Amino acid sequence: MLSVAHISKHFGSLHALNDVSFDVHDGEIMGLIGQNGAGKSTTFHSILNFLKFDGAITWNGQPLSADDYNQIGYLPEERSLMSKLTITQQIVYLARLKNQPANVIKPKINDWMQRFAVKGQPTDKINKLSKGNQQKVQLICTLIHEPQLIILDEPFSGLDPVNADLLKQAIVAAKQRGAAIIFSSHDMSNVEEICDTLVMLRNGEVVLNGTVDGVRNQFGRTRLFLTTDWSAEQLSTLDGVDSVTAIGPNHYRLKLTNADAGPAIFDAVTKGHYIQEFSQQPPTLDEIFRTEAGGVDHE
Amino acid sequence: MNKTWIVTSETYLRQAKSWSFLMLILMPFLFIGLTFGITYVATPSKDKSDIAVISQDASLRQSFLKTSGVQTTSKYQTVNAAQDATKKSDINGYIVLKTKNNRQVSAVFHGPNEIASGDQAKIQRFLSHLQTQLNVQTAKLTTKQTQALAVQPTFKQQLQKKTASDKAAKTISFYILVFFVYLILTTYSSITAQEIAAEKGTKIMEVIFSSTTPRKYFNGKVYGVLLMIVTQLLVYLLGGALIVQLAQHSRLTANMWSQYAPIIGKVLHNLLSINMIFALAAVLLYTVVSAFCGALVTRVEDASKASQPVIYLNLLTFAMAMAFQGSPTSGIVTVFSYIPFFSSYLMPLRLINGTATMGAAVLSLIILLATVVGSMWYIGKIYGGLMLQTDELGFWGNLKRGLSLK
Repeated sequence: MLSVAHISKHFGSLHALNDVSFDVHDGEIMGLIGQNGAGKSTTFHSILNFLKFDGAITWNGQPLSADDYNQIGYLPEERSLMSKLTITQQIVYLARLKNQPANVIKPKINDWMQRFAVKGQPTDKINKLSKGNQQKVQLICTLIHEPQLIILDEPFSGLDPVNADLLKQAIVAAKQRGAAIIFSSHDMSNVEEICDTLVMLRNGEVVLNGTVDGVRNQFGRTRLFLTTDWSAEQLSTLDGVDSVTAIGPNHYRLKLTNADAGPAIFDAVTKGHYIQEFSQQPPTLDEIFRTEAGGVDHE
Repeated sequence: MNKTWIVTSETYLRQAKSWSFLMLILMPFLFIGLTFGITYVATPSKDKSDIAVISQDASLRQSFLKTSGVQTTSKYQTVNAAQDATKKSDINGYIVLKTKNNRQVSAVFHGPNEIASGDQAKIQRFLSHLQTQLNVQTAKLTTKQTQALAVQPTFKQQLQKKTASDKAAKTISFYILVFFVYLILTTYSSITAQEIAAEKGTKIMEVIFSSTTPRKYFNGKVYGVLLMIVTQLLVYLLGGALIVQLAQHSRLTANMWSQYAPIIGKVLHNLLSINMIFALAAVLLYTVVSAFCGALVTRVEDASKASQPVIYLNLLTFAMAMAFQGSPTSGIVTVFSYIPFFSSYLMPLRLINGTATMGAAVLSLIILLATVVGSMWYIGKIYGGLMLQTDELGFWGNLKRGLSLK
């Protein structure tokens, strides 16, 4: 288990991190979300000991030792490989730095290349690969030594939906073998889809921390999806309705001022008859992100 | 496996397999080979430089062939055959030997060009010796008289200890050493600073530092460059030994070799000594400082600028060594021969000229090595911060921010 306890980091007068705490258990995926400059990369750099910081970061109850770094797989935000090396040379070199012998890693390369659908041969030079394929090779470098702690900074950035799915499968597979995984993302759908927990940072401070459902539910079931022959104007006159957005023919999304207004709206709209859809939900992570991450309600 | 060694081997193999490194190592040999080859092609072959000897007197002919010392051929025995061979440029020409009434010996050379002055002297010596024998016979001198006439004047050279060859050896040693160190330092400072600056411009360092400590990585890089230099030196030593063997036995250079063997021996002695350790330690120190300069650059495009401070420093020390070459006893040379960066040029200068004791050299070397170790330790400590600091803050800003990160 990775435990981050009360870490703070200042760059001159800038408070990059302020009393940040969270845990990531084995076999758990945690999403670290926040706007640009919220402190996500600084958090990763602190875990990786790139920075001096106040507070404590432990792995299985102990400060991270040199040997523990062999169990880490890290993907930085900006992708970069050694362009003059071949795919095999690059993967083997980085794996050797993780204390993995070349003869153990080499036989796995073809399998991983197939898993990520890398177009090219292991003997191809990195600079001959497309940007997307270079990104996949870097993902292989991050995961091939089967690390126990995986830190991915914006891993989905630049990936098309097909390749994003391949990455999600690899992340879930790592979780199933017991790895603790943290990744940052601006795409809340990815976080919602595969994360068990999430931490949201705003200006270096934790503003949300919990399971994905728990975080959503703490905002109340204030989103109502409704299919009805009522007009938007009619719906907006109902008590407890803050705003109405048409999202399709006879299909609306209502924002409620209070989750408790739901039953009265249900009665008013159905009048005891069948309607196709009445779904009262908490706000989506995307909505929460827009509301909470920047500290401003964008709606 | 030790991670420092992994970085060392990766750095070394990547560079050693590059064409630029191969060319760097092979260039002197290609140059020497080309010079040797052109000389060989331009120099006439053995047969073509021979002189045929023609004489009615067979014993006279044999005597000339065996004892004259001139490069001759016994292949042609008649004037016609020798003329044909000369026309075809198979031989350099032919010499016709005669004795008139068994009293006077004469020789006439026939050929397209004048005989080399050395050969003329040899022919003259042979003829004089023969003529003296004939004169003695004609004069019917007694043995005593003959011995009296045989007395020759003597000429000897009493040379002082500091001979001209000593001075030449020192000058040659100094220039070879200074230029070698200057070129090696410039080359490797540039390679190191540019490689590290180029790495810094990418995020690969974050991946690497998530696997090993910056200190281990930095040390591995420096050792990798040091291995390259050692490789270059070994290739030069082996190649040099091969060239010495060739030079000693090749007909083109054997004479020159035997003539200059004492100087060459002294030069080699001056080079393959503690001076070589000074050169290696200097390379190590400059490599460490170059890595530091490379780590202060923030953009890949600026990689070429990274090595400039080190190259200017090297240029300054080189210029100083050249300026004080003629005055190795100067107080400035003495003081600076103990200061790292300068000592690599100035202590060897003093040693070559015999103005420094071995004790002084060892002290200077200890200071130099301590500086190398100290700078490796300190730069290794701050290396991570410097490499991960990628904001554009200028030289001092980069340094300050880098120091604050770790």
